[in-house]
Parts: sequence; C-alpha cells; structure tokens
Amino acid sequence: MNHYFEQIGALPRKENIRTMYIVGFILSLFCTIAAYMAVTQMQLPRLVLIAVIVFLALGQCVVQGICFLHVNGEKGTRMKRTILFSAIGVVAILVGGSLWIMINLNARMMPGDAQMEQYMQNEDGF
Amino acid sequence: MNEEALYLTKVESHAADARTVFGFWTYLTTDCVLFAALFSVYAVLHVGGGVNLFSLPFVLVETLLLLTSSFTCGLALLAARDSQKAAVMQWLGVTFVLGAAFLALEISEFSRLVASGHGPQLNGSFSSYFTLVGTHGLHVFVGLLWMLALLIALSRRGLSRFNLRKLVLLAFFWHFLDIIWIFIFTFVYLTGSL
Repeated sequence: MNHYFEQIGALPRKENIRTMYIVGFILSLFCTIAAYMAVTQMQLPRLVLIAVIVFLALGQCVVQGICFLHVNGEKGTRMKRTILFSAIGVVAILVGGSLWIMINLNARMMPGDAQMEQYMQNEDGF
Repeated sequence: MNEEALYLTKVESHAADARTVFGFWTYLTTDCVLFAALFSVYAVLHVGGGVNLFSLPFVLVETLLLLTSSFTCGLALLAARDSQKAAVMQWLGVTFVLGAAFLALEISEFSRLVASGHGPQLNGSFSSYFTLVGTHGLHVFVGLLWMLALLIALSRRGLSRFNLRKLVLLAFFWHFLDIIWIFIFTFVYLTGSL
C-alpha cells in the first residue's frame, strides 16, 4: 500500500515529491504572471513579445510535465516517454504544417502594396 | 492463501493497474492531438487586429484558479500516498471548488460574448474560438463530474485500491487540462490582445 503509487508509475521513486509540487507551482505562477506582465506592462516590439510569451508557455509546459506529470528519465518509464514524444511529433506536424501552408498561401495570394502598384503599372490598371 | 500467494496476487494487481495508468497516459496524448487540431483551426481561421473583446485581468484570474486547482489536485495525490483520507477529501474538495469557479467564469464570459452578438455563428474566427475554448471547458466539466463521483466513492469506501487508481487517473487528467490551458492563455488571449 505504501508504495502503490510508485509501483503503478503514478509517482516517481523519490523522497522529496512534495517539494517538486511546490517548486512546480511557484515556477508556473512565475511564468503565468511574467507573461501577463510582459503583455500588459512592457512596451516591446510585437515579435519580441510573442517570442517571450511563447518561451514562457513552453517553459511552463516543461515545468508542469516534470513536476506534476512526472515525466522523467526514470527506469521503466521508457514507453511513457516514447508515446509522449511521438504525440509531440504529431502535434508539431499538425500545427507547424497548418501554419506553414497558410502563411505560404497568404504570401502568394495577398500581394503587398508595392507588388500591386507594379501590377497596375504593368497592366495599365485592372 | 499463504503469504506468498497473497504477495503474488498483489504484484499482479499492481501490474494490471500500471497498465491502466499507461493506457490512460496514451489516451491523454491522443487528446493532445485533438487540441492540436483545434489550435491549428483557430490559428488558420481567427482574424487578428480586430476589436479586443477579452478582458485580460479576467482571464488571468481564470488561469490562476485552474493552476492552483492543478496544484491542490497534486496535494490530494500526495495525501493519498500518505494514507490520509481526510486530507485527500479536503484537497480534492478545494480542487473541485477552484475548478467549478473556473468553469463559472468561463461560462459567464461565453454568455457575455453571445449576448453582445459575438456568438459562434458570427464568423469562422468566433466559431474556432468557441470550439477550442469550449472543448477545454467540456473537459473541465467532465473532470468535475468525475471528481464529484470520486468524492462520493471515497466517503463510502475510503482509500481502496480502486479509488486510489481513479484518483491517479483524475490527477493526470487534471494536470493535463492545465497544460492545455497554458497554451489557450498564451495563444488565444495574450497574443490576441497584441
């Protein structure tokens, strides 16, 4: 009974799990509030701001994965990691692929002002 | 049964529970793929630069509620490991209240949007927003029902093996929902306000 959670792979075989949860909670709070403050308080260029909040989101995801879901390098959890990383691969293809296609489409189908000017001159208007 | 046979039965049942946990883990990764699809649809369909309808402080409160509930759910699991039934029920109760508060805020935001004419039928942008955030909310709702059922089961049968197993799966599910919310918070609300 005492080691039930460890034996079914729900908790890691460590002593200081409570500390892990507390550290995870504090780091997650930090990431959330830092992202919020960055967006509401700081006057940064849009792209820099997006990079900062994406970094904080991924950081928080990793923190919670390690501290709350206990994804770690422990022996006997290889299948768990394998499944997780293959899912991350599918997610990356799905999201990355959609964005790739749509940005490409946007760039090809939506001419900028300069391009449109050029077109109008070449073709004598529409 | 002699002692050795009892021990073997215990080892077998733990191996079965380990398979259940692994199976649930696999389900969670497929749920990840579902949300990835919804995020992609949102990224493709949403229109940026429009009037910002979301109140960021409101969303921050929602986020903190869900994050804290994820933490207290972990504390419930730790209390169960230490065989403290009262503490398990207490932390699970706190988790339930925080989760319910989160859901109540989300529903009030949805109804505010619909009331101001920005319902899912307005355009693709709002359809994809409601689908993505609503699917997450539906998961939270199911998690809350599950939590309620588990609280009842705990009060009737205590920290039995089946209840412990349910608690483990619920904790995984709840932590997973908070991780999905990080991305909704970042990509829908924070980037939407830029």
